[in-house]
Amino acid sequence: MDFEELLKLIKEELIRVLGESYSEYKEETKEDIEAFLAASRVKLERWTKLLVAKDLTVTDYQWLVKSQKDILVLEALYKAGASKRRLGHLKNKIINTVVDTVVRALL
Amino acid sequence: MLLKKQYSRSLLIVLITFLALSCQSLKTAVYDQYSYQQAISLKVESDALIDQATNIFSNHEEEVTTLRLELMKLVEYEKNKPDNSISYAMLQLMANEDRSLLAGFLKRWEEEEQLSQTFTTEAKAQIMEAFDLIIKYEADKNKTNSNSILDFLEN
Repeated sequence: MDFEELLKLIKEELIRVLGESYSEYKEETKEDIEAFLAASRVKLERWTKLLVAKDLTVTDYQWLVKSQKDILVLEALYKAGASKRRLGHLKNKIINTVVDTVVRALL
Repeated sequence: MLLKKQYSRSLLIVLITFLALSCQSLKTAVYDQYSYQQAISLKVESDALIDQATNIFSNHEEEVTTLRLELMKLVEYEKNKPDNSISYAMLQLMANEDRSLLAGFLKRWEEEEQLSQTFTTEAKAQIMEAFDLIIKYEADKNKTNSNSILDFLEN
């Protein structure tokens, strides 16, 4: 089977399965699925070929796909931390600017 | 005039207090050389040990126990640092046997006694990538410290 076709099939299946469980978050679920597949595309293609060639077992394949999900969780944590630090840095700038402006304007 | 000054001071205090309180949750732990070194050391040790997973687990049980212990020590260290929830959460993922990262890999090796070359190579790449994110996150805290010092010097 063509990998593009397989990827499309996986996407449709994920939207169907997750859409049933999280129907109220249909749009967000679709976005999450697309982000996961886009970030994992190269690896998924390689692992799928290895699975077809029987170089990986189904359990190996399952473990690797789960590890990709875990890496995406780590990346999300990393991004959240980086934003938090940027906002912390911004906070100092805001405080300084507020103080300077108020002092200049009113005192 | 006096009333205007008093009003301005009160306004200033209220604004600063509001900003400071609203940003309490933005605090992050400072860069820690020990955490950085330990994460690199764990990455290098894991790299070498994962390569052995194509061999019988029982021949490497002692090294696995040592590595697990080192990982748990770092998790515990990160847990007790203030404002360190992100680094702690990242390491917890690595140390969780039910996840598919380092601890999960070691558990699978122990259960299956021996893993295939292809799986070991692919799993190692994933675990190394995970370590890189943890190491990079700690290293970036250093940049934040530098920015804070520059801010302080500028103002």
